[in-house]
Amino acid sequence: MAKIDENKEGIKGMVNPTRYGIERFAYLLMRLTGLGLLAYFVAHIYETSNILRGKVGWQEFLAITQTPEGHIILAIVIGMSVFHTVNGIRVMLGHGGIGVGKPARPDYPYAPQSQNARHKIAIYSSIVLAALAMMYGLAVMFGE
Amino acid sequence: MRESVIMKIHYGTALASVALVAVHILFRLTQGFAESLQYESVIANYEFLPYAGMLEIILILLSIHGFNGLRVILLELKQGPTFEKSVTYGCIAAMALIILYGSRTIFMTSMGMV
Repeated sequence: MAKIDENKEGIKGMVNPTRYGIERFAYLLMRLTGLGLLAYFVAHIYETSNILRGKVGWQEFLAITQTPEGHIILAIVIGMSVFHTVNGIRVMLGHGGIGVGKPARPDYPYAPQSQNARHKIAIYSSIVLAALAMMYGLAVMFGE
Repeated sequence: MRESVIMKIHYGTALASVALVAVHILFRLTQGFAESLQYESVIANYEFLPYAGMLEIILILLSIHGFNGLRVILLELKQGPTFEKSVTYGCIAAMALIILYGSRTIFMTSMGMV
């Protein structure tokens, strides 16, 4: 029983991105961006509720969020949402059996069929697209 | 509900959210980001009922997707009948609260009660 407990790493094991390659990193990023987006969503619902305080209340709250720091936070949110979307579509396709390869006899070095180049390219693409979207977002927000 | 059905709902809400949030962002970009956030512009957006309806749908879809995602993450970390029930009911309660709070803003603003 004690040995089983030792193997339970909990959050520490979940956030360790160094052991299993880019797929594990994508798994971690998917969860971190999901939590980040949920936090932003709840904050956004609160933020927009300030419209009920009238014009003065809305302008007051806008003054807090429409700052360089606010724009940087929004750019991070844009990056998180693009990564979460593109990687989410990859995960959905994988769960549907698309892009995971055909079943084959497991031979040494036992590389999983599902962790193939297509999925790796999709993960790297989602990171690149997220970076591009962040840059576009920053250009729009700081360009005005 | 079976977990496979819940995951289908999770994926369905994700795809629908992506499409509708894209429209929501396009509204901000076509008007000019800073101008679209001005009080009069925001009120005009809410009073345009198809847009207000879309915001309500986005609110429901993202609440379901977001809090089910949180439930999945929490259940990956720890298991057990009591914990799983607490997480599930906690997420449903949080989801309902967010939908109610967000709907209040949408309804009151679109009905001109500001």
